[in-house]
Amino acid sequence: MPLEAFQVLSAALFCIGLYGVLARRSAVLILMSIELMLNAVNINLIAAAAHMDQTAFTGQIIAIFVITVAAAEVGLALAIILRIFRNRSTVNVDEVDLMKW
Amino acid sequence: MGGGLDRPSMDLAELAWLIPSLSFVAFFLIVLFGRFLPGQGAFVAILAIAAGFAMFWVVLGGFLGAECPDSFGQKTCTFNREWFTAGSVVLSWGIIIDPLTVVMLGLVTLVALMVQVYSLGYMHGESRFGWYFAVHALFVASMLALVLADNFLLLYVVWELVGVCSYLLIGFWYERRSAAEAAKKAFITTRIGDVGLLLGILLLFKEVGTFDMSTTFAAVSAGEIGEGTLTAAALLLFLGAMGKSAQFPFHVWLPDAMEGPTPVSALIHAATMVVAGVYLVARAFPIFEAAPDALIVVAAIGLITALMGATMALVVTDLKRILAYSTISHLGLMMLSLGAFGYTAAIFHHLAHGFSKALLFLGAGSVMHSMNNETDINKMGGLRRVMPITTLTFTVGALSLAGIPIFAGFWSKDEVLLAVLDHKNYLLAFALIAAFLSAMYMARALYVVFYGELKAENNHVHESPWVMLAPMAVLAVLAVIFGFVAIRITEAGGIGTFLFFNYPHGFEFNTGLGVGSIILAVGAFVLGWYIYMARRISLGPWKVRFAAAIRVVGNKYYLDDLYQWGVDRVVMAFSRFVALFDRVVINDKAVNGPGESVRRSGLNLRYHVTGRMYNYAMGMAVGAVAIAILWWVLTTST
Amino acid sequence: MPETNLTSNLHLLLPEFLLATLAFAVFAIDLLLPANRKKLLAWVSVAGLIGLLALALALLWGENEEMYGGLIKVDSYALFFKSFFILLGIFIILSSVDYVGKHLSHPGEYYGLILFSVLAMNVMAASREILTAYVALELMSFSFYIMVSYARYNPRSNEAGIKYVLIGAFSSAILLFGISMLYSTIGVTHFADISATLANAGDASPALWVGLALILVGLGFKVAAVPFHMWAPDVYQGAPLPVTAYLAVGSKAAAFALMLRLFAEAFMPSIDDWQIIVAIIAAITMTVGNLVAIAQHNIKRLLAYSSIGQVGFLLVGIAALSETSPLASNGVMLHIVGYSFTNLAVFVGIIAFFNMTGKEEIADFSGLADRHPFLAAAMAIGMFSLAGLPFFAGFTTKFYLFTAAANEGLLWLAGLAIVNSLISLYYYQVEIRHMYIQPAPDMEGKLEPASAHNPHPPPVGGGAEDASRHSPTPLIIGVLILMVLGTFFVGVYPFPIVEALDAATSAILPGAGS
Repeated sequence: MPLEAFQVLSAALFCIGLYGVLARRSAVLILMSIELMLNAVNINLIAAAAHMDQTAFTGQIIAIFVITVAAAEVGLALAIILRIFRNRSTVNVDEVDLMKW
Repeated sequence: MGGGLDRPSMDLAELAWLIPSLSFVAFFLIVLFGRFLPGQGAFVAILAIAAGFAMFWVVLGGFLGAECPDSFGQKTCTFNREWFTAGSVVLSWGIIIDPLTVVMLGLVTLVALMVQVYSLGYMHGESRFGWYFAVHALFVASMLALVLADNFLLLYVVWELVGVCSYLLIGFWYERRSAAEAAKKAFITTRIGDVGLLLGILLLFKEVGTFDMSTTFAAVSAGEIGEGTLTAAALLLFLGAMGKSAQFPFHVWLPDAMEGPTPVSALIHAATMVVAGVYLVARAFPIFEAAPDALIVVAAIGLITALMGATMALVVTDLKRILAYSTISHLGLMMLSLGAFGYTAAIFHHLAHGFSKALLFLGAGSVMHSMNNETDINKMGGLRRVMPITTLTFTVGALSLAGIPIFAGFWSKDEVLLAVLDHKNYLLAFALIAAFLSAMYMARALYVVFYGELKAENNHVHESPWVMLAPMAVLAVLAVIFGFVAIRITEAGGIGTFLFFNYPHGFEFNTGLGVGSIILAVGAFVLGWYIYMARRISLGPWKVRFAAAIRVVGNKYYLDDLYQWGVDRVVMAFSRFVALFDRVVINDKAVNGPGESVRRSGLNLRYHVTGRMYNYAMGMAVGAVAIAILWWVLTTST
Repeated sequence: MPETNLTSNLHLLLPEFLLATLAFAVFAIDLLLPANRKKLLAWVSVAGLIGLLALALALLWGENEEMYGGLIKVDSYALFFKSFFILLGIFIILSSVDYVGKHLSHPGEYYGLILFSVLAMNVMAASREILTAYVALELMSFSFYIMVSYARYNPRSNEAGIKYVLIGAFSSAILLFGISMLYSTIGVTHFADISATLANAGDASPALWVGLALILVGLGFKVAAVPFHMWAPDVYQGAPLPVTAYLAVGSKAAAFALMLRLFAEAFMPSIDDWQIIVAIIAAITMTVGNLVAIAQHNIKRLLAYSSIGQVGFLLVGIAALSETSPLASNGVMLHIVGYSFTNLAVFVGIIAFFNMTGKEEIADFSGLADRHPFLAAAMAIGMFSLAGLPFFAGFTTKFYLFTAAANEGLLWLAGLAIVNSLISLYYYQVEIRHMYIQPAPDMEGKLEPASAHNPHPPPVGGGAEDASRHSPTPLIIGVLILMVLGTFFVGVYPFPIVEALDAATSAILPGAGS
């Protein structure tokens, strides 16, 4: 398969994630959409690595780091979302608007 | 680096750096230890400036004896030390001493000394007495450093500092709202000009790679910079000068600056601040000379300012404002003179005007001091009976400013007119009108305030203390004799043989022009006598006939209103609009009563408006796409 | 990738290892300390940081070595920022002590997180490879996510946290996608390799440009450049005050440390392509930041927008980067240093004020000059410096930056920046007028219960800190004095710093050596 196919797949996945971030109102779902975007990144990286850099594994290594960091990110974000839920009984980002102006 | 010799044989002139330093030190001494000193440390500032004035003579002697190379025809000593090197940029702090600097040093130190002595009496009993003298010292020190600076960087630093000090002094009585507003206005207005100045400096830096003045000027006269660039640079520098020297359309801050203590006005009008702009143009004259288009702008702005200031001075009834508009008018004349290659004339007029205007402000302060801070001239009248010395000195100042022969202002004004006749003769008629108006409003102020009948409620008015009168006397003497000094300063001739640009010239007297200007000045006083004293000529019908014009002038040509409208409606509206756009907010409550309404909405969360994250994310996404598109367009198009 | 002995120069990373150790040690000590002795943690952290600073300077002075096959470089640029970040950490911890004691629980994690973020910043300035830089960036961001939402029971802090973490993750995804595009088109991630590829690229593929643009967007978020700035005011307002100060200074400085190296070492060959983009972003950023600041009523939001404006100035420096002149690079770093002193002076003043009154609206500062002249003076100095008045840091650093921009022919940008300084003077002046001219809003009785009428008020929320309701503690005054002195120092005699900057610049831009 040509690299372009993976790039298109990755871009499509990225855009789906992007749409999710923009359209969803629940903090948890936004987080999941961001995960989609990160997976798009991983596909892109691994495909590129497999195509052009078959000895050094740079792409794969980056992907592993991305997965790790993303996991940590989700843990952190969920902790904060939990905090919000405890205080406000909602995780809807529309309703989290104490500060404006 | 630097154009001059680094170590000339005569070092006395180099001591000039001490003059501002003394006042800087005085500032810190008073701020840090003032409360422990008698009189809150005021004497420290006065001692510093007195020592500075003494140093001025040493520097003058040193300069006359020094052997320095010529720059643009004038002996120019530069003393600088490399201070720091950053890459290809070498910064050196140094001083430049040429006739221009020397006369400015003399003017600033003398006037500042007189004003500070006077302030001892005028500001007596003020709670922030020490602070007043501290800022005063800093003000003077920055101005002195400004005239000594040999590179644009240092010049810009002290230029800004002058602005800060004026902010502090104009707003000295900051409890008064009007004073605080006036201080803000002066600060912001002049800083608009400073934008131009800084840009001009940066533009010159880009061209020659140094901030050093001598090097820059040398590059200019060697023709290394294109004429377009030079014109742009000159105009940008002039923008800075317009702000500081209250040239149209930036003159609006100067009348309001009257909210400061009167001695501060004297200082601002005669020795610091407004002087800086004229000095800057004179200092950067090599650049302006090489950009004749810019000089035309200078002359035009100067002329507009001169006429505008003079007309407004005719209609206001506030004594200090009359003087303020008079300053604006005369600053315009100086700029006009510079625009007409009248380098010597401009500086000469500047000196003569400085002494006269300081004298007039001190006189006005003396009147206000005795009359409970009254400034409306219609409530005065006949004060010569109760304040004879103030009357005498004020009269001298007024006559000098009006250009009555033998007084200093006459000679200098004549030089200005001569310069205009020589180089921009099509403007001469306007210049003569400005000169006539100048005599007219001085006559008005003089007659209405000091002559005529003493009003009954003013019977208790008494003469000011000697500590205020002595400085006025000194300045009055100068206003009388300075003209003679200047027209025959050396064996060779007048001030034109000492202070000149490119080539010296003796004092000239064009008989026709001289007689004409005498007739105009004296005529104005005679006319004023008929109008304001003898009341043979009634202004009534004229006021009716020209009601509209008078209203326009009386409302300061509506410029203040225009600016206020601009700030309120345009800048603030734009700011709010951007803020609105920024948050995609429709909630007016959140705009107007921010903290409260937000807090009230609290956990209720009924306002479905902002703070919504997907708005932010959307903004970012749109921004990202915009950047990608922009990038795409730019990279493919090239 | 070249084969290297990965352990041969590992000792050069000793400061980082020890910093991580120190952070874990603080976590551990926290467990052993009784609740009323937690202040000790701050002193341990500060002492540790001071020791590390000394160690780093002694060990790394003049070093110029690559590690891990070029992932990290220990050079004078890294050392400069290392010292800067460690000092910054010290000052942030010192100015937090009172605040943490009064308003926050779990001080151990708080100080530990500051240490971790300092570690992350150090690595950001040292990394020469995109993944390394990214991981360091995330470590810093994670620390900030937690610190921003540290006031667990304060809904505003929660809200700031959720906004920051979600938008942060979103921007990280964009940044990563940019990196993946870059990698998939040119196949390298080391700055030097990217630079070499770009130099030979000629007409590179659009995918590469999109990748670079997305990286720019991701970094734009981290520094809060317009239009990626909207999170900043909310997060600044909601976060605990010392964290806001740290966010305004630390995260920006670190992101710019990374950005400067990235643009200078990796993207320099294609400067013609991105210079105008960065310049436009800079122009929009400073204009929007300064204009919107005028309309603000909350001091933290005001400073958020003002710091967005400052980011615009810093981006001017990035746009003016040049292979042959050190001016712009020096200017960016100098502005970071001066801005840090200045901004901290203002923030520490606000922290002291907040510790006393619990208020943070601009109107609450009315009459401050009468009650706490030193506090008001220090904040006024800070604001005058932010506005760029001479003799303060802001003037010198901005002048340097604008000179650099003019020198690179970006005169219009310099002009716009100067106009923006003027605008900023306006709103700082409003705040100063509040402190000096407006009368205090009926302070007796309301805010300060212990007025002359009622010398023994009932303790409000715990009587232990009653004394601190009336005057700032000596500690915070001390920090404030240091910041004000620093502001003057950078403003009047920046040359020792500029010399260090010259060395740092020559590390990232060898051609620009002086």
